[in-house]
Amino acid sequence: AVLKKRLVKLVVNFLFYFRTDEAEPIGALLLEHCRITKEEENVFSISFIEEPERKYCFECDSEEQCQEWIEALKRASYEFMRRSLIFYRNEIQKMTGKDPLEQYGISEEARFQLGTRKQ
Amino acid sequence: MKLNERSVAHYATCDSPADHAGFLRKRVERHHHHAHHHHATSYQRRWFVLKGNLLFYFEERESREPVGLVVLEGCTVELCEAAEEFAFAIRFDDAGARAYVLVADGQAAMEAWVKALSRASFDYMRLVVRELEKQLEEACKSLAACRKSPRRSSSSGRKRHLSNPALLPLQEKPAILENGYSTWGSGGGVPEGAACPDRDGGHAKPPPLPPRRRSAAGSAAGSPAPGFSLAMPESPVSPETACFSKLHSWYGQEIAALRREWQERQKRGHP
Repeated sequence: AVLKKRLVKLVVNFLFYFRTDEAEPIGALLLEHCRITKEEENVFSISFIEEPERKYCFECDSEEQCQEWIEALKRASYEFMRRSLIFYRNEIQKMTGKDPLEQYGISEEARFQLGTRKQ
Repeated sequence: MKLNERSVAHYATCDSPADHAGFLRKRVERHHHHAHHHHATSYQRRWFVLKGNLLFYFEERESREPVGLVVLEGCTVELCEAAEEFAFAIRFDDAGARAYVLVADGQAAMEAWVKALSRASFDYMRLVVRELEKQLEEACKSLAACRKSPRRSSSSGRKRHLSNPALLPLQEKPAILENGYSTWGSGGGVPEGAACPDRDGGHAKPPPLPPRRRSAAGSAAGSPAPGFSLAMPESPVSPETACFSKLHSWYGQEIAALRREWQERQKRGHP
């Protein structure tokens, strides 16, 4: 496999990649329904649920950088944030008896309901 | 610009619940070569699906692939002074990005869409999550203060430390907290009614914060945030929104090109 040096930017739930001296990205990966896997030393891969054998591999400069990226990418999806929000909401509600989303006026939104998102 | 379009199309059409969906009429944007050229405004009826911060639109409700994608970051959603009633517009901070003018069927539909789209951004979600994380920390603290025993244990090794568990890094349980993988239909994901994978004497360990987005270029972006940095409001206006408008135009052009190709082949009697 040929490795090409790229500038990689994580922006919300997208991973953009650039040739190192260019301002416009040459590509992007939407980071939803994906799996981040540690491969060999300094290397991680991103694969997607509908095509798990197709791996986008990235080699980092160090193991530390590799771990940093893996942690960041695992949390990068909107779906992960949504689950975090539902989790916190539920915990706060259990502890305080109050729904913390009421102050935002979003407590009724279907997307924040626990158990709405059926597996 | 390349995109993992197969994965994007899969995400758009898979059975994960949409945050909002419905028919809207979308204004067709034409290029005006002459300032005084008057083009009749036309609209196309499309099926729109909102998932997270992504607004997809399809030619038909049953279409298997979206024909367009709008990334709802760095944008405002506002009512529109168009000739059409129930019109609203998605506009971007990036001056070069095109606006999307959409028309709903009625007042209620318009209001529902504007509300849903205004709160769809990742940035908004992240602000709310950080705020809730703070609140959970405060709730844990007051709970710990209530539970603290006045008599400390005298045995030397044993230190019942009611430290705020929210400060401890969560031991990752990939099946539940991983990036949305295997949540639909395969039994993984957050179990109903029990959001916390780790329970430790009544103190739950919340998942760590999503990483802060750094706007400075560099070979590593978005390093993980420390446990409890106070949410510094990040401006939604950032250079990255220019990337998204390129993605929008790319997506539309690519699909249009593919369809033209397909239509030409059909004309030539290709099976």
